[in-house]
Amino acid sequence: MTALATAPIHRIATTARIHAANPWTILYTPWLILFGVFALNFAIWHAVLIGAGDRPLAPDAFTTNGGVTYIFVYMVVVAVQAMNQTFSFVVGLGATRRDYFGGTVLVFGALSVVFGVGISLLAWVERATDGWGVRGAFFAPGPLRTEPIWVLAVMYTLLLLLMFFVGSAVAATFVRWGANGIIIFFGALALLIVGVVYAITVNGGWEAVGRFFTTHSMLGLAAYTIPVTLVGGLAGFLLMSRATPKG
Amino acid sequence: MDDSRPIFLQIAEQLESQIIDGSMREEAQVPSINDLAAFHRINPATALKGVSLLVDQGIIYKRRGVGMFVADGARERLVASRRETFGDEYIRPLVARARALGMSPEQLIEIIRREAAQ
Amino acid sequence: MTAVIEVTDLARTYGKVAAVADVSFSIEENSICGLLGRNGAGKTTLMRLVTGQEFASAGEIRVFGEDPVENAGVLARTCFVRESQVYPDGFRGKHVLKAAAQLFPNWDADYAARLVAEFRVPLDRRMKKMSRGQRSSVGVIIGLASRADLTLLDEPYAGLDAVARELFYDHLLKDYSENPRTIVLSTHLIDEAARLLEHVLVVDNGSLLMDAAADDLRGTAVTLVGGHNAVERFASGRPVLGWESIGGISSVTLTGLSDADKADAAAAGLELAPVSLQQLIVSRTRSAQEARS
Repeated sequence: MTALATAPIHRIATTARIHAANPWTILYTPWLILFGVFALNFAIWHAVLIGAGDRPLAPDAFTTNGGVTYIFVYMVVVAVQAMNQTFSFVVGLGATRRDYFGGTVLVFGALSVVFGVGISLLAWVERATDGWGVRGAFFAPGPLRTEPIWVLAVMYTLLLLLMFFVGSAVAATFVRWGANGIIIFFGALALLIVGVVYAITVNGGWEAVGRFFTTHSMLGLAAYTIPVTLVGGLAGFLLMSRATPKG
Repeated sequence: MDDSRPIFLQIAEQLESQIIDGSMREEAQVPSINDLAAFHRINPATALKGVSLLVDQGIIYKRRGVGMFVADGARERLVASRRETFGDEYIRPLVARARALGMSPEQLIEIIRREAAQ
Repeated sequence: MTAVIEVTDLARTYGKVAAVADVSFSIEENSICGLLGRNGAGKTTLMRLVTGQEFASAGEIRVFGEDPVENAGVLARTCFVRESQVYPDGFRGKHVLKAAAQLFPNWDADYAARLVAEFRVPLDRRMKKMSRGQRSSVGVIIGLASRADLTLLDEPYAGLDAVARELFYDHLLKDYSENPRTIVLSTHLIDEAARLLEHVLVVDNGSLLMDAAADDLRGTAVTLVGGHNAVERFASGRPVLGWESIGGISSVTLTGLSDADKADAAAAGLELAPVSLQQLIVSRTRSAQEARS
């Protein structure tokens, strides 16, 4: 009878497992669609090759495409569902908000690693096969072509974590304050951006901004997302603590 | 089961009637609380209340670990107490109705005699 | 007897609206308590407050002696099932039952499987694609198989036909007999559930209208039917719950009649009809509403 009133780690593992009860939404479907988008790109490359015939193509013809960003957008959707429906389901069935948050962090973390490492491994295969035989770059497009695989793995993982936690914070804002909350949030964000742009312009700081981006490596820039992710996570937790499950 | 009286009273009365008409003899086992509850589709706590009423009156007694049984002399006692309330319960309304129809006591007694002779 | 739920001066307000106001009651261990009232009276809000899913604006709640909010120890022993339960998109019946099995320490998988067969729940179907009755059946199965020390069922049989409802009552009684626990059942089908209830809490417009043992309520009211004049004479000076007339006949529902009074009424030629728990509660609720407007 007191089995569940056991160590918090056990309860958190339980809520994490509930997320995974239906692995389609969080695992199978995103991989499937990722491969689908890749297959589409692959088909387009071959179509272009056939159409070009004997004419030579630029060496980087197939290296700039944003197909892999799809996975980042999808993770925001997963985060929104986690804050919305799954929250109402699990807390509605009697788990505490803290245990649910812990389980969700665990699942977000695991998914970020699985996809981050997974995609970077696919990028390794991509390079090993000389861009799938057509010098294409899908899993590590554009400037990422030259980054080492381990850097890609860390970058992707950090970016996915960012998507999850910022996404869940925004979703939690919606759950708590509804559409008005979202409007106010984005309105405030827009004002903030305008304010920052204005401040930089007035102080002639665009050069410094440019230098910031060029002097920092991809990895360094990705590392700057960590504080944002943490703030998002904290905001999500605080909002969730006062949220009530629907239904 | 009707709505005019608490259910536990009706349970007790039903058991009493079964004892009086002989379908439950003395020293016979009374159905368990859960069985009674399931049969009448009522809450077991209600069944327990009804049975406890009879236990308190000494009509039924409990043998630990075995079950509940009809006490010795239960039937006699029940018949005696029902005879006492018979007049109020049945005769008074009967007389009132007969009076409402304009029947005299003699007419009423005659009908009763004829009915009882059958 | 120990109280499993103790609520004192509980209130929940949303802006100016009080969904629950000044409510105090206690529910005894190992009993079936009915939480009755009209739609929107505050029954669901009360259940959400008691399970820590809704935050009280004022007052105190004690479940198993502790504050239920964010209390894993208390919540592990509690199961709250309702029709409006949200399920994640893509979750099928089997996923929901799997989740329930993980959350409730006393979960009985065999019992759940038997119930699934009896209620004919299509476990492979998505919750969203299930009929209202099938979704309710899933809720009922969770409520029963969880064997939680405190089980709250909020209108658990929405969409269930009469046969399925009888199945539910039978299973509830049987499992309650074999595994005693505290059950709070909210329903508007009072007469159907009446025989199950030991205690009755009637909520009206956010406050507690009645708090009594079911057996104490039965038989307290009676309906007298007869000629208008006779009825009027008999009812004068007594608390009246309801009154109807047609032609020269009137029917009045009164409370507080002794056995002697009832005998007098019969002698006066009036017909006596019992008043069901549902009629009693409906009459009281209507009077309360009229008193408000």
